[in-house]
Amino acid sequence: MSLSSSGHTSQKTSGGGFSYTSKVHVLDKYKVVGFISSGTYGRVYKAIGKDGNGKEFAIKKFKPDKEGEAAQYTGISQSAVREMSLCSELSHPNIIHLVEIILEDKCIFMVFEYCEHDLLQIIQHHSQGSAGGSGGGGAGASQQQQQSSAPTNNPAPPSAAAAGGKTPIPAPVVKSTLFQLLNGLHYLHCNWVLHRDLKPANIMLTSSGAIRIGDLGLARLFRSPLNSLYSGDKVVVTIWYRAPELLLGSRHYTPAIDLWAVGCIFAELLGLRPIFKGEEAKMDGKKGVPFQRNQMGKIVEVLGMPERRRWEGLSGMPEYGHLATVGQSQQQQQQQQQQQQQPGNGGGGGGAVGQQFNERGINVGLERWYHNTLASTGYPPISASSGANGSNPADTPGELGLDLLNKLLEYDPIKRLTAEEALRHPYFAGEDGGGKPSANCFEGVDVRYPHRRVSQDDNDIRTVSLPGTRKTVGIGGAGGGGGGMDEGGAGGGKRGRYVGD
Amino acid sequence: MAANYWASTQYLHWQYSRETLAQMRQKLKDEEKHLNQLFPLPDMRYLSCFFSKLLARLGKNMPVPIRQQALATAQVYLRRFYSKVEIRKTNPYIVITTALYLACKLEECAHHIKNFVNESRALWPSFITASEIAKVGECEFYLISEMSSQMIVHHPYRTLLDLQTPLNLSQDDVSMAWSVINDHYLTDLPLLYPPHVIAIAAIFLALTLRQPSTNAQQPQTATANMYSQASLRKDASDPTITGTTTQQKKSQHLVNWLSESNVNIKAVMECCQEIISLYDLLETYQESVCKEAISRFTRAQGLDK
Repeated sequence: MSLSSSGHTSQKTSGGGFSYTSKVHVLDKYKVVGFISSGTYGRVYKAIGKDGNGKEFAIKKFKPDKEGEAAQYTGISQSAVREMSLCSELSHPNIIHLVEIILEDKCIFMVFEYCEHDLLQIIQHHSQGSAGGSGGGGAGASQQQQQSSAPTNNPAPPSAAAAGGKTPIPAPVVKSTLFQLLNGLHYLHCNWVLHRDLKPANIMLTSSGAIRIGDLGLARLFRSPLNSLYSGDKVVVTIWYRAPELLLGSRHYTPAIDLWAVGCIFAELLGLRPIFKGEEAKMDGKKGVPFQRNQMGKIVEVLGMPERRRWEGLSGMPEYGHLATVGQSQQQQQQQQQQQQQPGNGGGGGGAVGQQFNERGINVGLERWYHNTLASTGYPPISASSGANGSNPADTPGELGLDLLNKLLEYDPIKRLTAEEALRHPYFAGEDGGGKPSANCFEGVDVRYPHRRVSQDDNDIRTVSLPGTRKTVGIGGAGGGGGGMDEGGAGGGKRGRYVGD
Repeated sequence: MAANYWASTQYLHWQYSRETLAQMRQKLKDEEKHLNQLFPLPDMRYLSCFFSKLLARLGKNMPVPIRQQALATAQVYLRRFYSKVEIRKTNPYIVITTALYLACKLEECAHHIKNFVNESRALWPSFITASEIAKVGECEFYLISEMSSQMIVHHPYRTLLDLQTPLNLSQDDVSMAWSVINDHYLTDLPLLYPPHVIAIAAIFLALTLRQPSTNAQQPQTATANMYSQASLRKDASDPTITGTTTQQKKSQHLVNWLSESNVNIKAVMECCQEIISLYDLLETYQESVCKEAISRFTRAQGLDK
């Protein structure tokens, strides 16, 4: 097989006198059986080991930054360096397992264990009804496309769901998933790693029901950083899962941003659609990072307007002045800006309703969302499930689920639960008869989830794809990213990586 | 991993016994007997000192000066790389540029590859002759591959800062120990001992060598004079010493603290010894000798082209 890059310079004189050749060759060790997904970083392939035991792998290939006639070494992206260094170091049952890294032909091949499912795929399977078990094609693929790039999103749900084919993800699956996710996240945070891109597509499941957190391309160490976290990456976390302190421009954010994303994922597992499905304001080259008014508005719609008396750091947020304009029309915004932003009038002003809490400290807006959502997804009513009528309290996430969600979707990052606290929440102790989480997400569940779709269109891993030839919608769309590697979140360009760009 | 040194790749894959390290070096030597005979090189510690100065110069010339921790990480990369690759088959100027470029990405203070190449070319035009982005990019693959993608480095600085309060260290003590840690990268210690052992050795040296009269001395210049002081005060390493000065009290406190901890005291003393020998050796360091030796093997083999 020949290399696609035709303009190879003579190897003799490159690399400071030495020429680099890999001692290990990808194709000697792995047989590529298909293509899973592609993103800004490169592409992901499914492969089988050639050592005879038939083990499956997902190979994530980072292409050279600039593609052209002759692929050249241009320096490895910050994102690849992070993922390579962190994946080499981490070892935990709920973190994606890296098998090896091969550097060959100017490309980086990260070989991961193969994971048959991811949360996005599971959510889509349920949102389209179990009958649609043919593998999350059509609408699923387009939603995947939408989600991974978070473009101008279409508020209409996939057609299958609109037709009412939804089936709830069994409550024990939700509980096990969340517990394992928090367990992996706790390990990351204990090791001073922020994930910064948690979302359903980045959370893998093995066929034996183990959760594996994947895609550490945005992850980084946060222990005494040399520069503020903000200075490295202006924008982190896919918009729908982005914590309020990030939306408000926080420079020194904390592990709490990952817990907000967990809250959003929990809500999405229950509702089968993103809880805060906002539209991303595009980066403006001159003005820098824009205020994400629409996304903030989606959060405020459910939770109410954040208030300084409940969130001490609120008024210190760089984008605090914009908060008053959330939920206003264009015209109102202009008026507001003309009137000058009055610092005392932020949060709580602008017509949007402030947060309200019931006697148990539950956000009333969230409580309303929770009960409506559980009903519309098809979970049994919580009151009726307390043992009477032969219904099983384990069939619903119950009031304890709401309490946990309420504490994850807490505006103030200081008050938000840590991963460790969340793991100790009564929801997981099963005190309400809801049971304890199983180590296997699928334990006792009849649902058969479709396998990850693998396309045969392109299984030439050695080909350096040229600009404009990348396969787009429909090809491997349902894949959602094998082995921990989806589209890389909001897309490399949007996240303001400045190395190798 | 990051919170636990004992689970880190540094401990699991990059910490050797002296014997193993010697065998690795011998293997490299045996594989390239001819090159070794043709191009003799000065003591590795002289070369390390030379590399460290090159790195510091490059770091200083960048648009934003590079922080010490990234320079330290780059030095560890160089030492790991050259424990597996014969130096005479490389252009060290390219490898140094690459190590710093990669270390900055890892330490999250990255700059564009162009900046590194431009600055190193401006500093060393006779060794970096063309626009060498592709060379540095290729060398990066080589470096990462030889390090098996294990790039997260644990440094002794953190232990030093953690111990400042428990050991009652003054700012001057910390500065002095910090400089000793900077200097230990010129030795094999980063491949031989865990960072906390090195930090404790650095604190020990800082306390025993920093006499009251040297308080006003700048730490950077102080380290250069350490050996002479050390030879005057060798008895200071005797744990039974009872003194009246503040420094001696602190040393005593450190010794007491050590004896109650699980830290390997023998290892701490070996580190101290190694660093004291280093200061002795550096008295006779000559930059030109290193520069010429490197220049000989790069020119003769066209590695600078």
